[in-house]
Amino acid sequence: MPQPILRVEDVVKRFGGIIAVNHMSMEVYKNEILGLIGPNGAGKTTLFNCITGVYKPEEGRIIFQNEDITGLPPHVIIQKGIARTWQKVRPFKKLTVLEAVTVGALLRIPDVDEARETAKEILEFIGIDKSRWNRLGSEITLIEHKLVDLARALATRPKLILLDEVAAGLRPHEMDELAKVLLKVREEYKLTLIVVEHVMRFVMGLSERIVVMHEGKKIAEGRPEEVANNPRVVEAYLGTKPL
Amino acid sequence: MPGVLAKKLALTKERLYGLIGLAIVLALVPVFLGFNFYYVLLATNVMLAASLVAAWNIIGGYAGQLDLAASAYMALGAVVTGHLLASYGLTPWIGMFLGAGLAVTVAVLVGYPTFRFGIKEVWYALLTSALVVILMRIYYLIYGSFETYIPHMEPEWLYLSFRRYEVYYYLLAAMVVIIIWINLKIKSSKLGYYLAAIREDELAAEALGIDVRRYKLYALMIYAALAGIIGGIYITLTGILSYRLFDPWLGIVTAVMGIVGGLGSIEGAVLAAVILRSLEEYLRGAIGATYPGSHLLVYGLILIIVGVLKPEGLASLIRYVKNKLFYRKREEVK
Ligand SMILES: Nc1ncnc2c1ncn2[C@@H]1O[C@H](COP(=O)(O)OP(=O)(O)OP(=O)(O)O)[C@@H](O)[C@H]1O
Ligand SMILES: [Mg+2]
Repeated sequence: MPQPILRVEDVVKRFGGIIAVNHMSMEVYKNEILGLIGPNGAGKTTLFNCITGVYKPEEGRIIFQNEDITGLPPHVIIQKGIARTWQKVRPFKKLTVLEAVTVGALLRIPDVDEARETAKEILEFIGIDKSRWNRLGSEITLIEHKLVDLARALATRPKLILLDEVAAGLRPHEMDELAKVLLKVREEYKLTLIVVEHVMRFVMGLSERIVVMHEGKKIAEGRPEEVANNPRVVEAYLGTKPL
Repeated sequence: MPGVLAKKLALTKERLYGLIGLAIVLALVPVFLGFNFYYVLLATNVMLAASLVAAWNIIGGYAGQLDLAASAYMALGAVVTGHLLASYGLTPWIGMFLGAGLAVTVAVLVGYPTFRFGIKEVWYALLTSALVVILMRIYYLIYGSFETYIPHMEPEWLYLSFRRYEVYYYLLAAMVVIIIWINLKIKSSKLGYYLAAIREDELAAEALGIDVRRYKLYALMIYAALAGIIGGIYITLTGILSYRLFDPWLGIVTAVMGIVGGLGSIEGAVLAAVILRSLEEYLRGAIGATYPGSHLLVYGLILIIVGVLKPEGLASLIRYVKNKLFYRKREEVK
């Protein structure tokens, strides 16, 4: 059995009366791509927010590389090596694409000029056209911003990256492009990925393993084809979104 | 390692020439004013506003915090420098740094809990505005409505006690140049990138590893220190110590000038200070006697005009002119 890089143990997060994450547990193994799926409101984003320190879970523990990181603030969590992208984009509107990615690179490279060089390498690697590097955050498209968000996160040199609906809004051929980029990124940076995504074709094709969440809990787990035929999963999705 | 230091101090050629050009222009202003006593005083007041706005740009423009306490930090620098000079004959050259020290101390005492509890935007503005009033009351409790006058002392240079305004003008003009230089250095440093990220989106900034509270506090401390030094110079000019130094209106006006200049643009901020302050003085002279206080309407009016026509402030105008003058390819990446 390979060592898990991340362990979520019995995590609970409430918002008033709503239990967004309800005794959720899962393990993520080094270098894998894990798909995290579930209908709207299942608690996927909230779980990401608990892992990255945006929220402090009321119960449970989060263990990263054998270290308890529960409740640490986001700027410390990323230092440990967990980066994330945002479902609802959070652009730096008055910074250029290159500057935004440089902000990420500065975490490990304190020298601005060197950080800029690293940022350029990452932008090139992700495949953002050079002609866009000097555009402001307010001038780029939503899709471009999703890629910048990814580049920004990668620039911090994470070991684990949580992607919250990066492919949403992409056209089919763009999704294929992105899937290739993510596989390339995993090789190059020796990354582990958790991918939250509603587009089944994308997440099923990309992931080696799938965890399904529903009403804050894990209801299924396994290889993509196993999960797709699991009656509990089909039931959870019925009346929400076709699988 | 002199090489490393030289690199840290260096600016890009374009910025360096701009700064040298500005220094030359500022140096010539008193000459153009014919060393007229009254006009040089007005020019000195303009430099005072410009240097204060340039200092404010670090917390307000770069870090994006609507700080209204510029006059509080300036007054702290002023009263420390002034009282040490008047009571103990301590040279303002030392006093201004002690004053800056107190300003930074107060900034940390206020800033730490403020940022710790995530007080932002209008609440931050209210809190900093209240700080000016609170410090004013404290000063009033200690010294009452009593005004302390700093006597003329010799040697002039040691006590910054001059009978003409030129030296004060040049001291404050030098502050303007130095503070602009500090702004430019911050902007191109890690601190500058981090402050910009915080201004744009705190949560995204924090998720990229930025200790938001700590970097906000750095910006606040630098700004408070600079405002304190400006206050130390200012008090040697007026020579009158009074609770009125803690002036909430000045704190607001400083922020207004910085906002009109276009948040985050040091050129715009200084230009706005120079234009608004000059206009205010001109109107005070021209119509102030007939309609007292009417010069203050200028701020409201200008703010409305800039808000409606140029939401990006004067900075967008500067950028436009620059692009026209020195056409550079946009796609080129440095
Ligand atoms: N900040 C918040 N305050 C109150 N309720 C919240 C908050 N964030 C999430 N919730 C609630 O928690 C539940 C889980 O939401 P979450 O965003 O984690 O789901 P999700 O699986 O990411 O859904 P989606 O696929 O639509 O993004 C929902 O009922 C949501 O309304
Ligand atoms: Mg979500």
